[in-house]
Amino acid sequence: MKTLLKLNINGEDFDLAASPGAYLVDVIRETVGLTGTKKGCGIGDCGACTVLIDGRPTLSCLTLALACVGKEIVTIEGLSKGNELHPVQKAFIDKGAVQCGFCTPGMVLSAAALLRENDRPSRDEIKTALAGNLCRCTGYTKIVEAVEHAGQLISGEAHHG
Amino acid sequence: MHGQSFAYQRPGSLREFEALYASHGDNAKILAGGTDLLVLIKERLLAPRLLLDISDLPELKGIAYDPAAGLTIGAGVKVAEIERSALVKEHAPALAFAASNLGSNQVRWMATMAGNVCHASPAAETPPVLLAHGCELLIGSQAGERRLPIAEFFLAYRKTALKPGEYLKGFRLPPLAADAAVAYRLRGLRRAMEIDMINLGVYLRLEADGATAAEVRLAMGSVGPISYRAAATEEKLKGMTVDEAFLAAAAAGVAAEAAPIDDVRASADYRNRVVGVLARRGLTHCLEQIGSRRNKA
Ligand SMILES: Cc1cc2nc3c(=O)[nH]c(=O)nc-3n(C[C@H](O)[C@H](O)[C@H](O)COP(=O)(O)OP(=O)(O)OC[C@H]3O[C@@H](n4cnc5c(N)ncnc54)[C@H](O)[C@@H]3O)c2cc1C
Ligand code: FES
Ligand code: FES
Repeated sequence: MKTLLKLNINGEDFDLAASPGAYLVDVIRETVGLTGTKKGCGIGDCGACTVLIDGRPTLSCLTLALACVGKEIVTIEGLSKGNELHPVQKAFIDKGAVQCGFCTPGMVLSAAALLRENDRPSRDEIKTALAGNLCRCTGYTKIVEAVEHAGQLISGEAHHG
Repeated sequence: MHGQSFAYQRPGSLREFEALYASHGDNAKILAGGTDLLVLIKERLLAPRLLLDISDLPELKGIAYDPAAGLTIGAGVKVAEIERSALVKEHAPALAFAASNLGSNQVRWMATMAGNVCHASPAAETPPVLLAHGCELLIGSQAGERRLPIAEFFLAYRKTALKPGEYLKGFRLPPLAADAAVAYRLRGLRRAMEIDMINLGVYLRLEADGATAAEVRLAMGSVGPISYRAAATEEKLKGMTVDEAFLAAAAAGVAAEAAPIDDVRASADYRNRVVGVLARRGLTHCLEQIGSRRNKA
């Protein structure tokens, strides 16, 4: 049986119907139709489904949609301000940190959450923050470089392009 | 959508939650961060009828320190908050370290320490440090509250001392004396996102002479069906002079009291050897902490 619920995603309220057993990742992708959030393992190991809930990086495959009522959900679609990309997005482009792209939305959101707490992270701090986001293409080197670069974009020490 | 059928409720207050939990009995499961529970449900190892979501209850939030009572941590506090808390770093640094080793950053922002303890896996990250601290659990129910030393909480593999209608409300870590310290040591296959193949919490308190062990606690994980203290070794070490022979006795003692099995993560033989090494390193780290505090004083 489905229940009605209101979810706030990327600043917009959505009135939806979902069963109590529905996971946030499926509701975001299938009901709302925002497919930037990816689903990999479904059990917490890969981080592809990462979204921000009240600013915290959260695995949407292990979060019930009903548990998100009254909270602010941000998906990869909501990170840029219109056409103005988030510094992490710019940095991923600058450093060529994307290959197939499946891990990228989750990586970018985890990195954005890290930089909000600390815009001068060490390489070890970057690796710790991204340990729950698996990438099977890049070998991680360029991703770590991109996050470092994003911190510099935020502090004005480097420029995009 | 693979909607498994259960009902979901998010009580607005602790009182409301206690009443619901009492009336639904075994049909209801407490949902905190869901990082253990929802995995079990997805893998169809568990099929509760009702999930009671306690993760936003304000009464279960908060970390506080009082010089007499020690450190108190609410059951609703996230592992990531414990990892970052200035109070925890100051009064229980080994716990902040253990918290930082649990899962990934996302998992730490979702998970609670109460869920870690109540899931009662022998490989869990936080029980050994809590056992080393001599932590007291605050247990709630509609009938009232009781306190239980964590050493009496784990009964068997994934079985705890919680009775029907009872839940974990919070943790109290007694204040550490100036000549006491706690350390946590772990071993996994890689540095992050790893279920420990062995972990160990250590407590050491020295006599006023600074050279004799007044009290020792050695709590081991992943070497038996529950996290538990090496009680016979603790007793033997009491009153010994803290020297090489003391460290050797500790290492040999925990290896003798460990009862590990072979599994996918490590062999029993390897675990037996490593648990001794971790005990040695943990005690040495306690000595360093006590020593540096003395130098400052
Ligand atoms: C990818 C991944 C990596 C992980 N890595 C680690 C790791 O490195 N180390 C580790 O120890 N664990 C790890 N875990 C397991 C899990 O994250 C932890 O055990 C976590 O602390 C569980 O807390 P939770 O709040 O999510 O609990 P939940 O899943 O919500 O609950 C767990 C159990 O405790 C019960 N419960 C919860 N709160 C209470 C309460 N207040 N009173 C009574 N019962 C309660 C629930 O009913 C349930 O039975 C990992 C999990 C995942 C998915
Ligand atoms: S799909 Fe959520 S962690 Fe893999
Ligand atoms: S770019 Fe392909 S998984 Fe990371």
